[in-house]
Amino acid sequence: MVNDAGRNPPQPEPFSADLLRGHTDTIVLGVLKDAESYGFEIYKTIRDATGGAYEIKEATLYATYRRLVKDGLVEASWGDETQGARRKYYRITDAGRAVYLQNVRDWTATAHIINKLLNVKGGMP
Amino acid sequence: MSGAENPSIHRRLDEAFGGVTMTPEAQDLKEEIRGNLAARVNELAAGGLDGPAAVSQAIDELGDIRELVGEVAGPGRAAGARAANAALDARLLHRVRPKPAYVVGVVIASIAIAAGLLFMVLGATGVLPLPIGPIIGFAGVASTGAAWIVGGTLAHETTSNYPVSKDRAGGYFFATLLGVYGLAVGGLVALGALPVWVVVFAALGVVAAIVLFAFLGATQTNRKKAWAREAAREYQGQDRFSQDPVAAARFGIYSAVIWIVAFGLFTGLGFMVGFGISWLALLAGLAVHMIVLARMLFPSDVPGVSTPGTGLQEE
Repeated sequence: MVNDAGRNPPQPEPFSADLLRGHTDTIVLGVLKDAESYGFEIYKTIRDATGGAYEIKEATLYATYRRLVKDGLVEASWGDETQGARRKYYRITDAGRAVYLQNVRDWTATAHIINKLLNVKGGMP
Repeated sequence: MSGAENPSIHRRLDEAFGGVTMTPEAQDLKEEIRGNLAARVNELAAGGLDGPAAVSQAIDELGDIRELVGEVAGPGRAAGARAANAALDARLLHRVRPKPAYVVGVVIASIAIAAGLLFMVLGATGVLPLPIGPIIGFAGVASTGAAWIVGGTLAHETTSNYPVSKDRAGGYFFATLLGVYGLAVGGLVALGALPVWVVVFAALGVVAAIVLFAFLGATQTNRKKAWAREAAREYQGQDRFSQDPVAAARFGIYSAVIWIVAFGLFTGLGFMVGFGISWLALLAGLAVHMIVLARMLFPSDVPGVSTPGTGLQEE
């Protein structure tokens, strides 16, 4: 993930978009962990989960899919739509599940440490 | 307006991929983006946004795909390393998963074949005291299972093959059913469970199956996907039949002659000497068939200077 905070004007969102972007792979794995899905549906799930406040650009997501497929964390297969454009479905693999769980554990531990260091209690300083 | 039919999606995509060497990977990405854009345009249209405006917004939301497109473009990557894994890459790019219903169906059909054959043989040899009706029924169950696997597999899209039409798949189903049922009834005659004259029906079924298979085979058009044909072309060189269609045609005629003679001998010997011995004719037919196949595929002389009749010269 390229850190482009220096080039962009400060974002009005009440969260750090850069921090989110750094976890795009894990976020996509999280979307796929319950059911297989295709590009636009994954994008929509992420957009709706943040209440529409933040959306990961689809171009970024395509790069993520390619990386995840290359690493064997998800598998791609073409769907059997009979009409309209064909969809490419992604499905999480066992390796992907393991990486997802590891990343979630890492994140939880890290968040715990940072909260401690910043003297955060119950979400408030 | 439906997103899939919206012509401006295709135009805008062509613009975005303009000047890009269309590697299989680039083509794959383009198709994927096309599908997702169509889904987004449909969503926007449902929200009341007009066709072209919806397309423009969907494209804008896509973000900057130039870097991504550059990544999948042809030149700039080590060609040698790519070629080694090209076939595998293509297989992953075009992957189509088998439908769970089909897999379950194949398993059930396999169980039906195994159980049908088992009870048929146990009944016919007298191990189980079954009347002849149910024994023939079990043969039918086994052959229906085999036919279902053949028909279902052909009607099913795979990673490398398009499905055949429902009608043709039905034809293959029927041909397999007739052939296997015929063989099974022939087996029952050989085991002594059925009177000898029933072998006429068995032979009729097998001959009808051969005729039907010949018809289906002769009218079969290509069902391999383009990428699979390309991969096959790269590996071509050892396979004589794809290099030399004349050899393949000759082999087909030899096969027909061998099996017609074998079935003739089988039936003739069966009536004159007994069906306990006549099956040797089929065994001999199979042996000759395999020898001819080996000689046709791997001629002893240099390919290209082979003379007509290579396969049978030394028989």
